[in-house]
Amino acid sequence: MNSQQVPSSLRDILADILEISPEQVTPDLSIGMVESWDSFRHLQAILAIEGEYGVQFDPQRIPELTSVSLLQTELEKKGATL
Amino acid sequence: MLSDSERQDLRRRIKDAASRQDAGAAVKFGRELLASGKPADVMFCASAFGGIADALKSQMGTRRLKMYVVRSVTVEPILPFLATEAVLSNYALDLQVGGYGSYVDEMLNPQSALAKFEPDAVLVLLDLEEIAGRLPELCADGIGAGVEEEIEECLARMAQLLRSFRSGNSARILLQGLVVPDQTSLGDVGDANLPHSLANAVLQLNQRLAALCRTVSDCVFFDVDRLAARYGRAQWRDARMFLASRLPVSADSFRTYSRGLVRSFSTLFRAPCKVLCTDLDNTLWGGVLGEDGPEGIATGSAFPGNCYLDYQKYLKQLSSRGILLAIVSKNNEADVRDAFQIRAADLALSLDNFVATKISWNEKSDSIRELAKELSLGLDSFVFVDDNPVECEAIRQQFPEVAVIEAPVEEPWKLVEVLAEQPFFDAAIVTDDDVNRLNEYKAQAQRAVLANSAGNRDEFLASLGIVCTFQSALQAPLSRAVQLLAKTNQFNLTTRRHSAAEVEEFTSAAGGQAVVVRVRDRFGDAGVVGLALARNQGDSCYIDSLLLSCRVIGRGIETALLAYLGEHALRNGARQLVGEFIPTKKNAPCASFYSDHGFVKRVSSEEVPSDSIFYELDLTASAPASPKWITLEGNESNELSASAVFSS
Repeated sequence: MNSQQVPSSLRDILADILEISPEQVTPDLSIGMVESWDSFRHLQAILAIEGEYGVQFDPQRIPELTSVSLLQTELEKKGATL
Repeated sequence: MLSDSERQDLRRRIKDAASRQDAGAAVKFGRELLASGKPADVMFCASAFGGIADALKSQMGTRRLKMYVVRSVTVEPILPFLATEAVLSNYALDLQVGGYGSYVDEMLNPQSALAKFEPDAVLVLLDLEEIAGRLPELCADGIGAGVEEEIEECLARMAQLLRSFRSGNSARILLQGLVVPDQTSLGDVGDANLPHSLANAVLQLNQRLAALCRTVSDCVFFDVDRLAARYGRAQWRDARMFLASRLPVSADSFRTYSRGLVRSFSTLFRAPCKVLCTDLDNTLWGGVLGEDGPEGIATGSAFPGNCYLDYQKYLKQLSSRGILLAIVSKNNEADVRDAFQIRAADLALSLDNFVATKISWNEKSDSIRELAKELSLGLDSFVFVDDNPVECEAIRQQFPEVAVIEAPVEEPWKLVEVLAEQPFFDAAIVTDDDVNRLNEYKAQAQRAVLANSAGNRDEFLASLGIVCTFQSALQAPLSRAVQLLAKTNQFNLTTRRHSAAEVEEFTSAAGGQAVVVRVRDRFGDAGVVGLALARNQGDSCYIDSLLLSCRVIGRGIETALLAYLGEHALRNGARQLVGEFIPTKKNAPCASFYSDHGFVKRVSSEEVPSDSIFYELDLTASAPASPKWITLEGNESNELSASAVFSS
């Protein structure tokens, strides 16, 4: 899988928050695969994504959104334009 | 709002600036990008700023601060905001965060992670549950038995915490207050009317905590509730995120919150600006005096004159706590004098309220340079307010140290708002010396006149009738001593920015001296203007700090202070006086202080390399003597109290 499969806006946010290059943001990238993606960065990424797309996640879902593709699917479910 | 392409463009510029280590450009574009408020942009800037830490320090004098956060809530997502906002205020933060609710151990255990980190400041961010967890229950009926007791108990606990911390650690403290709960079971009406509603109890608690902070040295109270109220309580918190992750502030408020924190802790590290230079036309009043005439300019109680009247009142209030006002205007001086006379009833300020006026057709940069010289103040003490963007840009380019505010000429009702938004004049402490400053600077101008007429220097100095009073730094009061240490740059031999706690250490050590000097002469009372810290080691007395406010340099007061130190060092058993000089960009005026007073430069031994230059003087052979034109008072710390000498 490669980063081209991730919508660019989502890819750029995650790259910034996780302090990695956009190319590293592939759909299967998940918590634990990069050192910087810990629980606090996760919260930060969630807040950044919520702000960018004007959506709110259910707090119970937040800990389950552990990969880029899961985040993307959840955003699409919320009707966000990616 | 920035468009996505603008954001990308700014990011590119920031990246470029960072890669060529251009701190000024990186911060300039960073400031623009951060206005987007988007977390991703904040992270981007935090990374970029992190990579130019050395350039920030060397090119912009950015101050590095180690900060430890003790907390009972989640702060991690806020830290990048705090770090970037700090850079915009010229601080580079090294942040470390403690565990949830483990603040007592962190603050009081000398082996804790906090103690080992040796922070410059500790941010105490505790929420209601942690500080006074029983209050919501006790306040539920609004008439609350036990509410007062709970508040007292909570205060006693916090006082104990802060004082115990202070006795073992000199890090500055920021104590965050509580946000007044917005929705309680009493409803708005009950909250407002019932004496012990939770809202009233928390308001009271905040006031008491602020009062507590005043009694602890180097401690400032951060009124987070004021921010929450200003920007809207409904938006301040996100209940979802608080309940799920203990995040105390909504993501939309991270930036505002961080700015407030930075603005509050800044007062612990930086002295406020001292001079406000205001333009006249379309700034102090509406219209152009040269065209509209004194009757035609807008000022007074009717709109739009009242916009300018509000601005004048604001300036007058600044002046009453020691901020000096000056006029810098391109006008005919006679016209301006007429206007102030003819429109006196419509103006909140008279010419007497200004320490100086520069009304001419000269370049404003020349006027500001002259003012700095006349007032013996550094350009970084100046704020310049002008409606003309060209004048503003000229000052920014010529004097980057001067803070420039562009007056909103199309929206004069925003004048006060624009000024109040800026932190330049923030001060957590106001001393009597601040209040008296305008008279003191005016007296200085009169002295300058006399100096020109007096024949020789000694005669001139004798004619001033200078009286020096020495006091313990603890009685100065201590806050004034610390203020002097924090803001004196030019005549400051070592520029050590000691905290109050560190000053106290000098007084408690055997053979230690912490002395301040008050100065008055026939023109006025300059207040506490000098300070020296010294300690005996073996048969030597080491002068750790010696400084004098620049407005009294050159009158022999520095010599009197040195003589005082020498005399007491001898009495405490020292035979030698050791002076230390640490050169900085600003303290060249005192570079030859010790050699001028007969000290001999110590040949550097193979000790630790340092910037310090040491000088020695044999006290038994040639103790320094106070100049004969100075009258000395209060040689013994308790001999004369300040109030007895200066009851006038």
